[in-house]
Amino acid sequence: MSLKGKRILIAKPGLDGHDVGAKVIALALRDAGADVIYTGLRKSSEYIAKVAVDEDVDVVGLSMLSGSHMELVNETMRCLEAYDAGDIKVFVGGTIPEKDREALLKAGVCGVYTSEMPLEEVLSAIERQLS
Amino acid sequence: MTRLDPIARRALGRTLSRLATASVAESVSQDPGPAPMPFETARIGFTGAPGAGKSTLISRLAKRRLAVCRERGGVAVIGIDPTSPLSGGSILGDRIRMDNVANESDLYIRSLSSRASHDGLTDNIADLLNAVESYGFREILLETVGVGQAEHAVRHAVDTLVMVLQPNAGDAIQAMKSGILELADIYVINKADLTGAARTAAEVRGIVQHHRGEGKWLPPVIKVARDRPEDITALDNAVSDHLDWSSRWRDSAEILRLRRRYHVQSLIARRVLEVLSDRPELLEEVSVRDSYLRTVQALTKDRHLLSETRENPPDGKK
Repeated sequence: MSLKGKRILIAKPGLDGHDVGAKVIALALRDAGADVIYTGLRKSSEYIAKVAVDEDVDVVGLSMLSGSHMELVNETMRCLEAYDAGDIKVFVGGTIPEKDREALLKAGVCGVYTSEMPLEEVLSAIERQLS
Repeated sequence: MTRLDPIARRALGRTLSRLATASVAESVSQDPGPAPMPFETARIGFTGAPGAGKSTLISRLAKRRLAVCRERGGVAVIGIDPTSPLSGGSILGDRIRMDNVANESDLYIRSLSSRASHDGLTDNIADLLNAVESYGFREILLETVGVGQAEHAVRHAVDTLVMVLQPNAGDAIQAMKSGILELADIYVINKADLTGAARTAAEVRGIVQHHRGEGKWLPPVIKVARDRPEDITALDNAVSDHLDWSSRWRDSAEILRLRRRYHVQSLIARRVLEVLSDRPELLEEVSVRDSYLRTVQALTKDRHLLSETRENPPDGKK
């Protein structure tokens, strides 16, 4: 399995202050061969979209534990559109209740990867999305 | 603000990705346009050991440089981090230290991995810098991979080179004496609120003065502490002074010649890597001499390959 040559932004939107999960994913993606950029905590959707565009990433991973994932996803999508970057894919991870999965996919995210999923499964899902 | 509107950011981002990953054949076959003249965009490089504080220093300085450059094209920051030799992946972490300027509208920050380069820079850095220049930025701040003693390549990529050191790096400084420590235009003793900064500054000053040539620029040694904005002012002024000095005294033709030399040299070095990994049988000759000659022979075949690619431009892969 390889993500060689892929550029991935791991972002923490919203107000929760825990990024262990985000960092675990970032390191796993690097070990799979990707160039990984991490935003740090508590970034606005506007900021995340700007970084995604400046860095020309293939996909943005939003790590969210705060419960406001619906709003943050919609906002980030809107900001990406404003940058003419609607083609940059978005996946979400963190604490996402199963009942919201459908709505998130409908909103346009390419995958929902919760902390219960084995890491290998997450990586191969991301690789499938990017191939 | 036209240059850095969202659409231009998107276009620049994509251009840089394409250039950064181009193979040697792709890089040589593209039409580069005219080489930018030195001094139209100032190129300022920052180098130093890992953890010396390069990214944080750049972010503090970028704010000042923006104040001067805002009406004249803005500032671009290029940060390079190492590619893992095991996985080929990387964590591009320079930008996380640049939070204080990340929302500035006339600033563009781009993180790159070093890829096949082992000289503190990245593949195709010459093309990347030229592309950023073509977007009209007034200044480019280039951060190298954290380097040791012998990565001199950045010298030819930039107009002003800032070497970032830490207090009590005494042994390291001794070791660098005849290396990159002779090459920088400005020395920063960063984290100068730590003890030992004054002594380190004195040591560096001694070495720098020792190497100074007649009529040459005397590199200033500047202590920069976390809580002293006046230190950043001193650095800011030193950078401006050196850029003025360079545009007055340095020969543009010579700068272009050195840039060209580095560019050609790094293309050939990388082409050798490409050939050796594509054709492992070249290393199975009886003697080193035969391996060497066959490799050189393989390289000369590129002549035909390149004239073909020019007629059929490659679309992404070699």
